[in-house]
Amino acid sequence: MKKLLLATVACATLGLLAPHGARAQAIEPGKPVSMILLPKFLGIAVFDQAHNGAEEAAKELKNPAKLEFLGPTPENSVAGQIEIVTNAATQGVGALMISNNSGDQIVPAAKAAHAKGVKIVTWDSPIPSAEGEDVFVAQVDFTETGTVMADMALSILGAGGGTFAVLSASPDAANQNSWIAAMQTALKEPKYAKLKLAGIVYGNDQSETSYNQALALVDKYKDLKLIMAPTTVGIVAAAKAMQDEKLCDKIKVSGLGLPAEMLSYTKNGCAPEFALWSFVDLGYLSYYTAYGLATGAIKAEAGQSFVAGRMGKYTITKDPTRKEGLRILMGPFSKYNASNVEAAAK
Amino acid sequence: MTLPLALRRWEMLLLALLILISALNVAWSPFYLGVGNVVNLFQLEIEKIIVALVMTLIIINGEIDLSVASVMGLAACVAAYLFHAGWPMPWALAAALASGAAAGAFNGFWVAYVGLPSLAVTLAGLIGYRGIARILVEDRAYGGFPAWFNAIGQQPQVGPLTVSIIIFAVLFALMALVLHGSALGRLVYVMGNNVAAARYSGVRVRRIKLLLFTASGTIAALAGLLYAARLGSVRGDMAVGFELDIITIVLLGGVSIFGGSGNLVGVGLSILVILNLRNGMGLADITGNTQTSVIGALLILSVLAPNMAQTLHTKWKGRET
Repeated sequence: MKKLLLATVACATLGLLAPHGARAQAIEPGKPVSMILLPKFLGIAVFDQAHNGAEEAAKELKNPAKLEFLGPTPENSVAGQIEIVTNAATQGVGALMISNNSGDQIVPAAKAAHAKGVKIVTWDSPIPSAEGEDVFVAQVDFTETGTVMADMALSILGAGGGTFAVLSASPDAANQNSWIAAMQTALKEPKYAKLKLAGIVYGNDQSETSYNQALALVDKYKDLKLIMAPTTVGIVAAAKAMQDEKLCDKIKVSGLGLPAEMLSYTKNGCAPEFALWSFVDLGYLSYYTAYGLATGAIKAEAGQSFVAGRMGKYTITKDPTRKEGLRILMGPFSKYNASNVEAAAK
Repeated sequence: MTLPLALRRWEMLLLALLILISALNVAWSPFYLGVGNVVNLFQLEIEKIIVALVMTLIIINGEIDLSVASVMGLAACVAAYLFHAGWPMPWALAAALASGAAAGAFNGFWVAYVGLPSLAVTLAGLIGYRGIARILVEDRAYGGFPAWFNAIGQQPQVGPLTVSIIIFAVLFALMALVLHGSALGRLVYVMGNNVAAARYSGVRVRRIKLLLFTASGTIAALAGLLYAARLGSVRGDMAVGFELDIITIVLLGGVSIFGGSGNLVGVGLSILVILNLRNGMGLADITGNTQTSVIGALLILSVLAPNMAQTLHTKWKGRET
């Protein structure tokens, strides 16, 4: 603990001394701020990892108030998220960290909570209009996600290229939509000329729906060679579907996945390559951001810098992927294949 | 109008449950009794409880309407689609209400005049109306409605009350008057008990059924528009699955799924029980599957308890003689 604190101080000092960039605000530990971490819904491994990261940050910051990990059920995601945000405002919590699954439908509830002094940090998936939101902690640059997916498609399909399709989460998931859009932009480059994106389907981040949608893609596009799923639920479901139907030789699966969940499919060749960032780090950074905002150490303004414990210095900037809104960019990506997936799955 | 003894007992049970839940909430959370929280408690489920009122009449009548949530979605999507196609908002809203009425009348026609079971007809409606809604908005989210429209769903208009809450109160009074104070209401019960007998006694069975289903569609459309106003944006999946919550509220209220019995007092109490339970659990940071399980357990008990009591009662009597 002491070491960590020393490291924090050292980082903070470094930040202060840094010749370039903004002055990094030190975040003072030990202040009571009750906080809620709100995932899209409960029961998804990556959100549990983000929770672990947030708990780690909570311990480091010695926040005497509680961190609650609350979420709706998948069937009730929109209404459930709105209910939790509304109740959080009633309870007067200090900060709310939301992985938004409700598009702009969360805006009225978020604005009402914000008006009552609750700091609203989004992570994983922002509020599209940025209304009611202080800052969005972005896992990776959305444009980079597009390029990474296009690169993986190219490396799996080879120079000959071929037809592929996207299996996404829900139609209104802001993050998936912007990644897909970024990928479509990337695909216009000459080196991807032989990759043909046939269509996009939505599995709503539910295993069974995603599984069926993956099989529907196989039926619909006879020359399909790859399913790209930018969602950890979708990629597992698609890989399982291809494995069950013994289609792995013909149709590969790629996208964003968790090493632990993808291990067997990467080993057996169904999903030779996929990518992801650390959700533990995302939860950790979101907690530091929300705590810093709620204690007044940082303001929700472009140019504000702070030191997020072991992860180092971050700066709030204008979000280039949305019309409005502020962003903290975490990054970077890790790509996984048969050579490194085992180590990462542990 | 006197209630059968068993039903009165049911309402007393609900009342006791409500008092228990409220007491626990007061003990648990200092925020529970705040005006803002009480308003939110209704607001968060307001569209469902509005539809539950008309569903009460439908079920007492011996029918069911599974398409209500899809009609809610349809109306919201019609309004959003037309507004973004350049229609003035009031016209878009009127067209959305009309689409709900038409959807309800369509259900009613097949049930009342063709004689198909409402379970099948409205199940088709559940799928079909949702399909139309999704075709209209595809995968987009429509927002940017006029400020006055959003204010209807989001801001208090009369004291701390929102328009939605006032509409609920007015509809509750209206439905209670129809069901418990009018000739039409008595016919709704008579038909629910024995539709053949009602028909032979000259009751205009078809016309009443058509009227009920049209009312159900219209009110569901109204609720869908209020939902759109509350959320400020519309998607094709709006209100998916709400029909089950709505029907369970009605059944917990002591309305028999076989028709013919139940009343709005019970449904009113059931609404308060479920809303307060949800709110209390939310304030106690109980969410997700735990919340669903607790409410689920309550509903299982509510459906089983009266039947089991009846069975035990019959057995006991059998032993005595």
